[in-house]
Amino acid sequence: MAFPHRPDAPELPDFSMLKRLARDQLIYLLEQQHEVDKLYKVENKPALSSNEQLCFLVRPRIKNMRYVASLVNADKLAGRTRKYKVIFSPQKFHACEMVLEEEGVFGDVSCDEWAFSLLPLDVDLLSMELPEFFRDYFLEGDQRWINTVAQALHLLSTLYGPFPNCYGIGRCSKMSYELWRKLEEEEDGETKGRRPEIGHIFLLDRDVDFVTALCSQVVYEGLVDDTFRIKCGSVDFGPEVTSSDRSLKVLLNAEDKVFSEIRNEHFSNVFGFLSQKARNLQAQYDRRRGMDIKQMKNFVSQELKGLKQEHRLLSVHIGACESIMKKKTKQDFQELIKTEHALLEGFNIRESTSYIEEHIDRQVSPIESLRLMCLLSITENGLIPKDYRSLKTQYLQSYGPEHLLTFSNLRRAGLLTEQAPGDTLTAVESKVSKLVTDKAAGKITDAFSSLAKKSNFRALSKKLNLIPRVDGEYDLKVPRDMAYVFSGAYVPLSCRLIEQVLERRSWQGLDEVVRLLNCGELAFTDMTKEDKASSESLRLILVVFLGGCTFSEISALRFLGREKGYRFIFLTTAVTNSARLMEAMSEVKA
Amino acid sequence: MDCYTANWNPLGDSAFYRKYELYSMDWDLKEELRDCLVAAAPYGGPIALLRNPWRKEKAASVRPVLEIYSASGLPLASLLWKSGPVVSLGWSAEEELLCVQEDGVVLVYGLHGDFRRHFSMGNEVLQNRVLDARIFHTEFGSGVAILTGAHRFTLSANVGDLKLRRMPEVPGLQSAPSCWTALCQDRVAHILLAVGPDLYLLDHAACSAVTPPGLAPGVSSFLQMAVSFTYRHLALFTDTGYIWMGTASLKEKLCEFNCNIRAPPKQMVWCSRPRSKERAVVVAWERRLMVVGDAPESIQFVLDEDSYLVPELDGVRIFSRSTHEFLHEVPVASEEIFKIASMAPGALLLEAQKEYEKESQKADEYLREIQELGQLTQAVQQCIEAAGHEHRPDMQKSLLRAASFGKCFLDRFPPDSFVRMCQDLRVLNAIRDYHIGIPLTYSQYKQLTIQVLLDRLVLRRLYPLAIQICEYLRLPEVQGVSRILAHWACYKVQQKDVSDEDVARAINQKLGDTPGVSYSDIAARAYGCGRTELAIKLLEYEPRSGEQVPLLLKMKRSKLALSKAIESGDTDLVFTVLLHLKNELNRGDFFMTLRNQPMALSLYRQFCKHQELETLKDLYNQDDNHQELGSFHVRASYAAEERIEGRVAALQTAADAFYKAKNEFAAKATEDQMRLLRLQRRLEDELGGRFVDLSLHDTVTTLVLGGHSKRAEQLARDFRIPDKRLWWLKLTALADLEDWEELEKFSKSKKSPIGYLPFVEICMKQHNKYEAKKYASRVGPEQKVKALLLVGCVS
Repeated sequence: MAFPHRPDAPELPDFSMLKRLARDQLIYLLEQQHEVDKLYKVENKPALSSNEQLCFLVRPRIKNMRYVASLVNADKLAGRTRKYKVIFSPQKFHACEMVLEEEGVFGDVSCDEWAFSLLPLDVDLLSMELPEFFRDYFLEGDQRWINTVAQALHLLSTLYGPFPNCYGIGRCSKMSYELWRKLEEEEDGETKGRRPEIGHIFLLDRDVDFVTALCSQVVYEGLVDDTFRIKCGSVDFGPEVTSSDRSLKVLLNAEDKVFSEIRNEHFSNVFGFLSQKARNLQAQYDRRRGMDIKQMKNFVSQELKGLKQEHRLLSVHIGACESIMKKKTKQDFQELIKTEHALLEGFNIRESTSYIEEHIDRQVSPIESLRLMCLLSITENGLIPKDYRSLKTQYLQSYGPEHLLTFSNLRRAGLLTEQAPGDTLTAVESKVSKLVTDKAAGKITDAFSSLAKKSNFRALSKKLNLIPRVDGEYDLKVPRDMAYVFSGAYVPLSCRLIEQVLERRSWQGLDEVVRLLNCGELAFTDMTKEDKASSESLRLILVVFLGGCTFSEISALRFLGREKGYRFIFLTTAVTNSARLMEAMSEVKA
Repeated sequence: MDCYTANWNPLGDSAFYRKYELYSMDWDLKEELRDCLVAAAPYGGPIALLRNPWRKEKAASVRPVLEIYSASGLPLASLLWKSGPVVSLGWSAEEELLCVQEDGVVLVYGLHGDFRRHFSMGNEVLQNRVLDARIFHTEFGSGVAILTGAHRFTLSANVGDLKLRRMPEVPGLQSAPSCWTALCQDRVAHILLAVGPDLYLLDHAACSAVTPPGLAPGVSSFLQMAVSFTYRHLALFTDTGYIWMGTASLKEKLCEFNCNIRAPPKQMVWCSRPRSKERAVVVAWERRLMVVGDAPESIQFVLDEDSYLVPELDGVRIFSRSTHEFLHEVPVASEEIFKIASMAPGALLLEAQKEYEKESQKADEYLREIQELGQLTQAVQQCIEAAGHEHRPDMQKSLLRAASFGKCFLDRFPPDSFVRMCQDLRVLNAIRDYHIGIPLTYSQYKQLTIQVLLDRLVLRRLYPLAIQICEYLRLPEVQGVSRILAHWACYKVQQKDVSDEDVARAINQKLGDTPGVSYSDIAARAYGCGRTELAIKLLEYEPRSGEQVPLLLKMKRSKLALSKAIESGDTDLVFTVLLHLKNELNRGDFFMTLRNQPMALSLYRQFCKHQELETLKDLYNQDDNHQELGSFHVRASYAAEERIEGRVAALQTAADAFYKAKNEFAAKATEDQMRLLRLQRRLEDELGGRFVDLSLHDTVTTLVLGGHSKRAEQLARDFRIPDKRLWWLKLTALADLEDWEELEKFSKSKKSPIGYLPFVEICMKQHNKYEAKKYASRVGPEQKVKALLLVGCVS
């Protein structure tokens, strides 16, 4: 039932090299230089260690710097002298040093960098683990991470050869791509003459497709992420899953034989599959009856361990399934999905709006309510002014006035907007669009530029045929297209774009789509006339999601790969989902 | 060839010394050498002359001229000496001319007479004047040692990193020592001086008397002393005409020689080489030159004219008005080959090759002879080595030809040594050329390294030759051609008579985008020469915009720097420029600059959000960004303010800002929140419990849960809570209270705006089937089935 890869599917490059590189560097930093023996988690409390030197391994955030500074200052007050070392990962920012300086501890602290930017979460998934990328770039217009992205791409091309075909869409993609190219030029010669291992690279900004990221996920891996939150490729299953009083940390990747078969499945299939699997397992166990001693010995030494392992995994996933079923098969969830589908297809808008209103009134969940509002706004090119006001009022009444700022954020990011009366640009928008056409503005993403954009989802949906016409029931067991990741209701826009571009080997013929995406100047194709690329490598595609990607998108593309004989590799700034996106935009009281 | 060894002079049994001409000098000297202060740099370096008018009694009415020549006598610079009296001249290891003035100030000049810098040797020296000075070379660089009028010594071991050391006093020293020298042992500089019959060694701490072992008796004074190039050996010339030679540590005597001349020599220097067979000292008097070693006989030369000796690593250079000669011990390989009647393999090979050219069968005989002894490899090596030591190209060629001939009969002779020697000789011949005038020997060249040699060519502005050498030797571009081009460009920008455009274009034409050339370095040089415009033009060629920024900042082109930093995509760089700008500009201008650079603005805003909230507010104010200003105050109302009054005030400011931003909705919402806050405060006062910071919904719920229905109703009316919400709210709250009676009353208060299905649902959530059933009956027909299913009445 889990689809095997086509026999001609290319082999994936070995990404464990990245891990080894990073590990060696860290060991070097810690042991050789500073003789670290114990690690503590950075929390906002005094360090209990009595060591003579403290070493902090942190992300370059101002908050962290403040924490380090307060620790150092506390030590100073207490008359303690220690050595302090801050190791920034993946890189050091000047602003961080500024903070240390302003807090008067710059002289006491020495700094280092650990250039670890790519964590292989799975055989085909690399994560930069930078969840803040989304807010920093798409809300605050802060471009600091672009350099990090370019460095990461540079690292990949030094390790795995140059990429003969490059495509991208979105301002951030374009900037990262250009910066990356510049890096390559500066260190000319390193990648020259290397055989490309990966034939294509596709860069995509998250704001090109917010819709997909905002939908409820129904593919197993996505659902697990939505329900239990997968962190760094592992998940904490609580007592309700393990049916014991302890929670269990489980690594979710291709190593897990059970999981790898169900991760890309629509949830409705998973339970059936698991019970079938359980029966098979039982049958295998049962074989030992009627074995003679020798056979039994064989069985115990060779198969039993595997079976036990499988057994354990199976029970974990069955537990997770049950827990999800309990939560999701309730009527609310069905209705929620129904509303989402209605929004995607664009009918019964009134009904959906009042559903959302009720959702808010009942204080179901601040994040969920927000997500539905955003989905409504994007699919409808903004809310009509009346709804815009009333929904916001209701929301503030339900969840507190600080969300006034959340709305301001969402508006800035273009996630929740008001329909402009007619098509005329408002004063702000014309000012912004002037900025955008400015020469210097070729490099900017002022957050305001998103104001000028309309999502045009409906038109895009028609153009790219995102809502499959269904004759009769969509068979989720034998999916026909990528829409299966949303129960056959919607083909993820991001994945469709990638499919189309790969088919054409460029953006040619997609001009209208690009225009509708407000990416007039920001879609690019770059092909090097490289005939060294093997046909195998040309079927390997690295997809880079700037601002995060969801497991549904990963599943959809894995499906596409199987259909077309490609293998996709995913590089994302972080794995995300609707809740994470909304949380990034929310203002909460500290 | 028979007379090839004619200029060889044997010294003792084992060694030969030879003297050959390097150049015939046609430097039109106006003065006699003896009237001048002379300094010649080692390693075939330049010669500086300064006519010394201060030595004579007559008043210095005419200003002397400082002249600098190449070793071949080509004038490099000539300038009028305008400073004070000079006591001593000397060259540093970087070929900078150090001129020690009487007042202890040392002036530093470049090879082309360009003034570099000056430094003083200290107050003590200034007061007591400089009596004598020496410039010496150490591992660290070049040092200066000074003998003051008070007969004290002051020295600095490295003029690049000036640390003055005053040496301890020599007890009982009343007059100037008869001779003295600086010497380096164990990386420490010492002074050795002779006073009458006594020798003293001065180090930082102490002055100790020393005696050379085995010194002949009867010495009442030392007239001259000489330390070898490597500071390993020392020679002393006594008033008895004795020359004592030994190690510089004064622990061992090598030999002594009585020359029977009591007149003090003009100069005495060591002439030896690494692995010398017979070390010798060269002593020069007015008309006589004597080479003295461990042999009963010395070698004597007659000096036709006033000469000057320059000690080198492997010999002595001797120049005079008309010639420039080199005196050295004949290297082993040359000696073996050319010694009369030598049967060394190299000599035979050379012979064989000559016969071969004459097409004589003797060639074969010689070759056989070598081969029978199995010495062909050695022979080839000898010829190659000897070629290196020959000054004349024809001799080099004939030796190399012999080597090449011999190589043919060898199976596996690695070619590199031959090839390298050919290359090295080409380089050496090129730089020895009269026009270049760097007479390096092969050993000196190897000691100096090609890198330093290139530096020296660059220093002489011989860029084309340097580049040719790089290309010929195929040096990596970054070390070779690029570096030289960069130097050339740095020199080019100093040509003030050429316009900025022309210079920039010329530089770009030559350099193009040669890897490893940093346009920003060249621009920095241009800026250093005061050519800011040129610097900016050059920066335009710099491909890495990041590299342009620091210089632009230095040139106070901060705004340009900002846009370059933004172009580079490096946020750190942008940030650096921002901080710079912030300090440089007044606040208003700074904000204006930010306004035109959205990327920088958002970066700075991010920083302010965490670190400088007040600045953030000012930023918004400056921009008339009332929307953000409103948001700012809203945030402040719960993040920064504690008291209700403060919070309400913050909200009021926010509301005003929102009005200005024409955001009626936000303004109204903010005003509502002010109202709610006040009210919540009142509720807390009157009813107790916590209300502040609850949302409106939660406030009403809390009231209902607390049984204050009236209050709740009032609040709902005041804040115009829609009916639907109120119904949901009450329904949930009452069910939570399990106040079924009140719930029923409520359900009957009027027709439910949310229908009755929610009632069923909520009751079932509380597991109250009984109550649920009551409402199920009231559910409208279209939802009835759902309701019944919920209650569990499948039938």
